[in-house]
Amino acid sequence: MNPRDRLRAVSRRVTDPAEVLAQEATERVVDLVVNALDVNELAARIDLNALLGRVDVDAIVKRVDLDALLDRVDLNALLARVDLKPLLDRVDVNDLVQQIDMDALIEKTDLGAVIASSSGGMAAEALDAVRSGAVGLDQFVDRWVQRLIRPKQPWPAAPPALLAARAEP
Amino acid sequence: MSPRPPRDALVGYQGHYAGSVSRFAAYSIDLVVSTAVFVLVLAAISWGVRVVTGHDVHWNRSNVVVAVIFVLWQFLYFGYCWAVSGRTPGMALLGIRVVRADGTVLPPKQAVLRSLVFPLSFLLFGLGFIGILVQHEHRALHDLIAGSAVVYSWDARAAQLRFLARQSGLAEGGVSSPAVAKADPAG
Repeated sequence: MNPRDRLRAVSRRVTDPAEVLAQEATERVVDLVVNALDVNELAARIDLNALLGRVDVDAIVKRVDLDALLDRVDLNALLARVDLKPLLDRVDVNDLVQQIDMDALIEKTDLGAVIASSSGGMAAEALDAVRSGAVGLDQFVDRWVQRLIRPKQPWPAAPPALLAARAEP
Repeated sequence: MSPRPPRDALVGYQGHYAGSVSRFAAYSIDLVVSTAVFVLVLAAISWGVRVVTGHDVHWNRSNVVVAVIFVLWQFLYFGYCWAVSGRTPGMALLGIRVVRADGTVLPPKQAVLRSLVFPLSFLLFGLGFIGILVQHEHRALHDLIAGSAVVYSWDARAAQLRFLARQSGLAEGGVSSPAVAKADPAG
C-alpha cells in the first residue's frame, strides 16, 4: 500500500467521526439558540422601515410579471375572504365627504344631470323660483322697514336654537 | 333694483325668521286650500243627502251654522297641521314652518294655542300682524301669545345644487340658457 494512501485512510478515520460530531454539536447549538430566542421580540426590534429603505423595490417590481401573477389570482375568492365591515369602520366617511367640493364635482361630472333629472325637473325649478322670489321680497321689505324704524341694535337672524345648530360644524 | 338676493345668500337663510311676503303668500294659499276643501265637503254632503233622502240641501253663507262650522274647520285645519308637522300646505309650499320662540319643535299644545289665538291678530284691521314687519323677531301677536316663531325651513342648499346641475346640464348640452341668450343675442 502506498504510504500516502495509508495516511489518507488514517486521516479519514479521524476526520469522519470528528465531522459527524461537529455536525451534531452545531445542530444542538442551533436548536438551543433558536429555542432561547424570542422571535417575536427579535422581529419587534427590527427597524423594518430602515430595512425596506435599503431594498430597491422598483427593481424587484420590474422583475415581477404582474400580468402572470394577476392571472393566477382569484380576486372573487380573495374579496370573499375580506371582512369589509371592520375596514369601513376605520374610515372616517364624514371627513372624507367634507373634503369633496360638491359644487366643483357637479360642474365637472354628469352628476349634475342626474340630480336635475331626479329632483322633479320643472316642478322643482318652479318651486325654487317661487320660494326664492318670496325670500327676496321678504328681504326687500325688511330692508325698507329697518330703514324707516332704524333699530338701535341689529335684529337677530334666527331663533337661538337654530343659530346654535348652524354654528355647529 | 332687483329684490331677489343672490343664490349663495339664499343658502344661508334656512332657520332664519321668515318675512312678511312668504308668510302672507303661505296664508293666502292656505285660505284658498281650506276653503276649497270646505266647499267640496259641503257639496259632497249635499249630494249624499240628496241621494239618501231625495231632498236638496242649500248652504247659505249667511247661515250661522255654516259660518260656525267654517270657523271650526279653520281651527282644525291650522291647528292640526301646526301640531303634526309645524306647517300647513301653504307653508310647506313656501318653505316655512312654525317653531317655538327658541327655535325648537313646536309642541302640539302650543300649536293648538296658536290656532286659537290666531284670530286675535285680525282684530283692529289686522294690527296684530304688524309685528311680522316691525318686531325684531318678525313675530305677530298670535306668535307672541303662543310663544312661537316662523322660520325658513326649505333646503336652499338643494335648490342651489339643482341650479348648478341645470347649469352643468345646459353647458354640457351646448344649449345656452335664456339669460345667456338674452345677454348675447348674436350667439
